[in-house]
Amino acid sequence: MLLQMKNISKLYKNGVLANDSVSFDLNEGEILAIVGENGAGKTTIMKILYGLEHPTGGEIFINGKTCAFKNPQDAMAHGIGMVQQNFMLLPTFSIAENVVFGSEPRCFRLFFDRKKAVKEVIELGERYGLKADPNLLIKNCAVGLQQRCEILKVLYQNANIIIFDEPSAVLTPQEVDGLLNTIRSLAKMGKSIILITHKLNEVMAVADRCVVMRGGRLIDTVKTSDTYIQELSAKMVGRKLIDKSIPEVEKGAVVLSVEHLSQKGKDGIQALRDCSINVHAREIVGIAGVSGNGQTELLHAITGLSKDISGGKITLDGQNLIGLTVRQIREAGCAYVPEDRNTMGAALQSNLTETTLMARQYETEYSKNGVINYMKANQQFDALLNRYDVKYSSLNQRAGELSGGNLQKLIVAREISRNAKLLIVAEPTRGVDIGAMEFIHNQIIEQRSAGAAILLISSDLNEILKLSDRIYVMYEGVINGELLRAKANSEDIGILMTGGELRDNAS
Amino acid sequence: MTMRHKISSLLKRLCQILWQPLIAVILGFLLGSVVIMISGESPSHVYTQMFQKSFFSFYYLLQTLTRAVPITICSMGIIVAWRAGYINLGVEGQMIVGGLVSTVIAIHTSAPAFLVLILAIAGGMAAGALYALFAAFIYQKCNVSIVISTLMMNYIANYIASYFVTFPLKDPKSGIAVQSVEIPVDVRIPRVFEGHTFNWGFFITILIVAAVYFVIGKTIFGYESKMTGLNPVFANYGGVKKNNVMMSAMAFSGALAACAGMLEIFGVKYRYIDAMFISTSYAWTGLMSGLISSLHPVGAFAASIFLSGLQVGGQAIQRTTNIPLQVSTLIQSTITLFVSVKLFTDFKHRKKQKVEAGDIINGN
Repeated sequence: MLLQMKNISKLYKNGVLANDSVSFDLNEGEILAIVGENGAGKTTIMKILYGLEHPTGGEIFINGKTCAFKNPQDAMAHGIGMVQQNFMLLPTFSIAENVVFGSEPRCFRLFFDRKKAVKEVIELGERYGLKADPNLLIKNCAVGLQQRCEILKVLYQNANIIIFDEPSAVLTPQEVDGLLNTIRSLAKMGKSIILITHKLNEVMAVADRCVVMRGGRLIDTVKTSDTYIQELSAKMVGRKLIDKSIPEVEKGAVVLSVEHLSQKGKDGIQALRDCSINVHAREIVGIAGVSGNGQTELLHAITGLSKDISGGKITLDGQNLIGLTVRQIREAGCAYVPEDRNTMGAALQSNLTETTLMARQYETEYSKNGVINYMKANQQFDALLNRYDVKYSSLNQRAGELSGGNLQKLIVAREISRNAKLLIVAEPTRGVDIGAMEFIHNQIIEQRSAGAAILLISSDLNEILKLSDRIYVMYEGVINGELLRAKANSEDIGILMTGGELRDNAS
Repeated sequence: MTMRHKISSLLKRLCQILWQPLIAVILGFLLGSVVIMISGESPSHVYTQMFQKSFFSFYYLLQTLTRAVPITICSMGIIVAWRAGYINLGVEGQMIVGGLVSTVIAIHTSAPAFLVLILAIAGGMAAGALYALFAAFIYQKCNVSIVISTLMMNYIANYIASYFVTFPLKDPKSGIAVQSVEIPVDVRIPRVFEGHTFNWGFFITILIVAAVYFVIGKTIFGYESKMTGLNPVFANYGGVKKNNVMMSAMAFSGALAACAGMLEIFGVKYRYIDAMFISTSYAWTGLMSGLISSLHPVGAFAASIFLSGLQVGGQAIQRTTNIPLQVSTLIQSTITLFVSVKLFTDFKHRKKQKVEAGDIINGN
């Protein structure tokens, strides 16, 4: 047994128990998958193993010896490497430079030996079958190649245990296939792999064993040859996938209608091709898809954030939206919870009043003749944030001081309280703990009951399946299928997400 | 909240805000002491002289306050643009353009004094605003960095003004001095005390500081420009038009800079003298006080008076001791440097982020 994690617990200072006595082990040359929903504690336990977090209880054994990692360098010295979800690469440096960064080959102990670096990267690539042009700059590389560079980096550091954190989240289906092959061949060469994911088909494809986590606890450890996807997902979610607790309501008239929308992407590639969707009042419409398949572009087209629409029509309650400014679209009745709370949803250095005021500053309720009534805003926001269970000490606090979940709740509160005809929610629960997730879901469902049309984008399939009355699947900028709640299941969506077709048309 | 609570929390906040500039000031004076000692003088003697001849005698205090007028208004101009995320280094140039245009209007318009004054103010401010807007315009059209264009436009403004006062506007009676004709007596800003340059411009400055405080703290423009400065993506998402914010912030900034030039001419010098705003480096001192106060208008007002005092005191010690004026410049720069490094707050910030990282991770 190469690695053993024994009764690992992690209690955060704010009282969240992220890991509750989790134990598992890893053999040499084995691929172990750790699956669980968002907030199940998968990432926390890996951060502990990688030295980014310190456990509040339990022990780690490597080759039978106890180890406590102070920091990632320490873990690396013990042969543990991690391929991060967000790549830690320097975009203006070449692949070779990135791979050797931190322990560069030198000449005369002083100067960076670039030739040797290039040579070593080529050798590494040949040994593990990971071919990459070492002189290519990272910023010119596709995402899959960037990930390959991350893997090379870990191999260069002589890791025996390689952790992959949600490696397929940003990849196209073809790239995923390549990645799975790489993982398999690495294991054949004697590396031990830990694969963190919530994509069960990948687990079934490559893993030898699978650890299922839920709510910070270890639910089960199973051999993949002894199980099947439905069983795993039932264990992972702990209930049936489609939650029947969502009330049935009769949907109303069409609120948002997008017809034949096309848009050019950044590299001249079409980001959106002939997309047509509609959302009715009292309906939650989900858009599923691997991230980067046009979802963001679609949202930005609807909300007016992108101006380079090459064709098509967008109407909200019959009113044309194309060509209108962001403010005009908001005033026409559109609210938007953006996918990234830190870069688009808030200014981290502004205070909570200012963050909550955004897009309201020109409403007569909050300002007159260009002068903002901060007193009134403060009173109202205090009430609003309390109602949405945002934990903060003062409205003068900076937005960046809130925890991720609380900031997300603030943004959701800000947008939902507009009571807009159309509510767009993108990744509403990314990086949010389970409590906040349930809360946000309930708020979305309440908005539906109140008559709003809701467009939901999420890379978390469970979230889509749980909330949506109707689901569109996007693939490479095209709407590749439409499913009703009753007929939706993750297998069909998975096929559509990866560009496939269903044999009998499900919609 | 009770009154006592309010006062104590206010004091706490004040301490939080002030401690870093305070440490920077101490470090600045310490470094100054070293230099003074190397030149063979006693720091305590020199510093006593310096403060006596800047703050603690009536005559010099008035001089300090007079000098603080253009510095303060320049720093207001810098603050207005910088808060929106645009670093306007062309305050000097806008000051020159505004000052020169208002001087020309004052000299060449024959109308009642009141009307001439209004025309001069409006014309000067419009000229300063337009000059700043030009930088915004070429940023939009040709993507020229505002920092560079505004900085370079300082030279353009200065040499154009130089031409005008050397040839068409030159006062024929002034001999070799390159300067314009004096503005008429009845449009000058009256002095407060006989025989001293301290004038009502200082009280206009207080009004301007109050106005800037109000505009950036209470209005939609202030809110939108602050949000644009902190996170343009967020502002855009909220329906703020970045172009409008940039145009208004730059125009406002330029108009304020022009005001600084006008007050100096109409209140103190009564004419445009070649390179008058370059040699005095009001704009750069204003930039320093903006930096020291972290772009807070009231703080910048206080910092401007303080820096103006250092300059006045520095000139005084140059006359009475053998310490050159440069020592006071050195102290000023050191203070600014230490404040803008934000060494201490960054350290604190990093520690805090580590704690927070835990909060974010527990979600995954």
